Amino acid sequence: MRIRVLALAAAAALLTTACGDGGGGVDVDDPDAGPGENGEASGAEGGTLIAAIGGEPDQLNPLTTTSSFAFTVLENVYDTLVQPGDDLSMEPALAESWETSDDLLTWTFQLREGVTFHDGSDFTSEDAVASLDYIVAEGANGWRFAAVDSFEATDDYTLTIHLNTPAPNLLTQLGNFKGLSIAPAEAIEAGTLADEAVGTGPFRLVSSGADVIELEAFEDYWGDGPHLDGIEFRVIPDEGVKLTNLETGEVDWIDSVPPEQVTDLEGSDALTIGRTAGFDYWYMSLNNEREPFDDPDVRRAIAFAIDPAAIAEAAKFDAATPNETAIPEGSFWYHEYAPFGHDPDQAQQLLDEAGVSGLTIDLMVTNEFPETVTAAQVIESQLAEVGISVDIRTEDFGTWLAEQGEGNFDAFALGWLGNIDPDDFYYAQHHSEGVNNFQGFSDAEVDELLDQGRVEVDEDARKAIYDQAAERIVDQASYIYFYNPDIVEAWAPHVTGYETLASAATRFVNTRLER
Amino acid sequence: MARYVALRIGQSLLALLGVSIIVFALMHLVPGDPVRSALGTRFTPELYAALVERAGLDRPILVQYFDWLGRAVTGDLGVSFRTGQPVALALGQRVGPTALLAFGALIVGLLIALPAGIVSAVKQGKAPDYAANTFSQIGVSLPDFWFGILLILVFARMLGWLPPGGYASFADDPAAALRYLLLPAVTAGVVTGAILTRFVRSSMLEALNAEHVRLARAKGLPWRYVLRHHVLRNAWIPIITVTGLQLGTLLGGIIVVEIVFSWPGIGRLALDAVQTRDYPVLQGAVLLVAAVFLLLNLLVDLVYARLDPRIRVGAST
Repeated sequence: MRIRVLALAAAAALLTTACGDGGGGVDVDDPDAGPGENGEASGAEGGTLIAAIGGEPDQLNPLTTTSSFAFTVLENVYDTLVQPGDDLSMEPALAESWETSDDLLTWTFQLREGVTFHDGSDFTSEDAVASLDYIVAEGANGWRFAAVDSFEATDDYTLTIHLNTPAPNLLTQLGNFKGLSIAPAEAIEAGTLADEAVGTGPFRLVSSGADVIELEAFEDYWGDGPHLDGIEFRVIPDEGVKLTNLETGEVDWIDSVPPEQVTDLEGSDALTIGRTAGFDYWYMSLNNEREPFDDPDVRRAIAFAIDPAAIAEAAKFDAATPNETAIPEGSFWYHEYAPFGHDPDQAQQLLDEAGVSGLTIDLMVTNEFPETVTAAQVIESQLAEVGISVDIRTEDFGTWLAEQGEGNFDAFALGWLGNIDPDDFYYAQHHSEGVNNFQGFSDAEVDELLDQGRVEVDEDARKAIYDQAAERIVDQASYIYFYNPDIVEAWAPHVTGYETLASAATRFVNTRLER
Repeated sequence: MARYVALRIGQSLLALLGVSIIVFALMHLVPGDPVRSALGTRFTPELYAALVERAGLDRPILVQYFDWLGRAVTGDLGVSFRTGQPVALALGQRVGPTALLAFGALIVGLLIALPAGIVSAVKQGKAPDYAANTFSQIGVSLPDFWFGILLILVFARMLGWLPPGGYASFADDPAAALRYLLLPAVTAGVVTGAILTRFVRSSMLEALNAEHVRLARAKGLPWRYVLRHHVLRNAWIPIITVTGLQLGTLLGGIIVVEIVFSWPGIGRLALDAVQTRDYPVLQGAVLLVAAVFLLLNLLVDLVYARLDPRIRVGAST
């Protein structure tokens, strides 16, 4: 019971997301890296990749940052116990294998031997325990381990996790992203992670400044690769300029592409576009504690009046998939369900039955995420068709969050980023005690289903529970879902071995420069 | 002169104190909660209360102000809410790039304004004058984000002559630094040049029409001699003033150019700080820019007083 995570919110989702870029380029060659010392973990064999990211990381401590730009960098510096594979199921990383006890309350992990941290020390179970304890106590992701009683270093290479209740999503919670990285116990105790990154990943942090973050190949990396000498991350805030940097060869890889150009660029020989359905979703929500939005029929009416496809088109051009639920097609947890479509007549009828007319909605959006502003404009015109007027209130994100926290809104629009497990998609947002249930949604059936989902270990049974929960959440219009944006990155043709992943992890371990 | 200098320094310090009060008050009066914002999705009431206490935001605002001021005087501007980095360090990393860009822009501006303004005044009412006026009219109304992107498209993308943004420090690689500097300096410098052209022209015209100039011409001195010794010398003073003020404006006002050209300067830092309600960083950045502005003002006044004794005399009466 030491972990009482409460509330630490939600989020898996890092609200700060990267905006992509694409780039192409050419750049620095500095072929001075020799092959690695131990044969299979071959060292670098050539070149420094120049990668452009859309903003500066707020800090480089993976356990406390929530910046997606930080994770773009740290993905290559740190490792987790397990990590998402191609189908997003968890694969071995620092943990080689694991088993669960019959009562499902004890998980035993065999850790990889012979792994070295960037400071030369050996990785052992003490480091895993120290990192996980720190995540629970101080990290941004302690809430993920609500079911954990304790982490125990049984011997040097055995980690035992004791649970209070069965946790079917434990692997996802351990490996979802690099916010769950393993760092050396010493560095954690000394509190130096923010100043000095010490991971077990394929690249080592050399320097970080306002304009450039430099990584170099770590020759004692436990896995295959890396093949580059190093990576240089440059901050280029403007998306169009970032793309130009790729096209002119200033950079080799960019973390996003202006959405309106994706389709055009896909046919281009000058650069490669990496695109895959992403796990983020964008939505709006109505204040269930205010009239008339406390009436599910009024919320449903608004859902009928809104056309998610039109919002996706306006906000993301072709680079998004409209979806009336949260989880994207392609996930094991996807459940096809789209009861609303775009049906103004049905909306009008529901409003008439509820006795609502002349309604004005205060819709709060933020210019931090311009897609919310675009969505609001589409919503305004669509709701006008059913006699609802919308006051679009655009706030900076600081104000937006404060207003959301205090419940000062009729409606708001935002997105959730980077979730994998259905519990992450639904619990914090829709359980009546969820920490991010700012809309005040409360439904006994949803609560019960979400509680069941947290302890059901049979995957198919668990999926059935979440399918049912998803339908209920959509029917009750706790959130009105719009779309899942695609993850779009771009790189120069001479960059090989890089792949855009649905998990949004930017892994350069297999990347080469072939010029 | 000593008395005048002391007086001006005293005034500058008072003004800086005023700025510090306004900056501090504004930060705390605008809506949006910095701690809530820093926590983002990690928000919990417990964590929130702990952070508020750690940041000292639960104390009366006057206590917070004097505490901040007391430290600021010693160079301790606090610690960023968002990154945990000392503000002085963050500002220190950005001052160089911003100063480089501002000076670069000023040089571009002067290279445009001095010839254009002088020629335009000397050829008043003729074609060169109209051309210069048209340029300055266009220049002052040019949106810098648009002009910057246009330059990137032409010189980086189409012609491939210059990089489309980025930064290198002069100390590391002067040639690369110049290549990166050119487009952003031209972007910011054209506007500055347009403004300065008007000042150069008007102060030249004033000097040209002064009686002693007419006398000099009447007694048959060569035109070039008159221009150099009687006109430019007098026209110089207002131009120096405006140039100094423009430099101050550039230092505080090239945020957009920094964003477009991925330039790691103070403007970008301040913009990030505004968006995340990172008070310590924003306060530090505004205070620094204000201090530099006041310092430049002071220097301009002192140079001015040195060049024109009437100013000193006026101050001591």
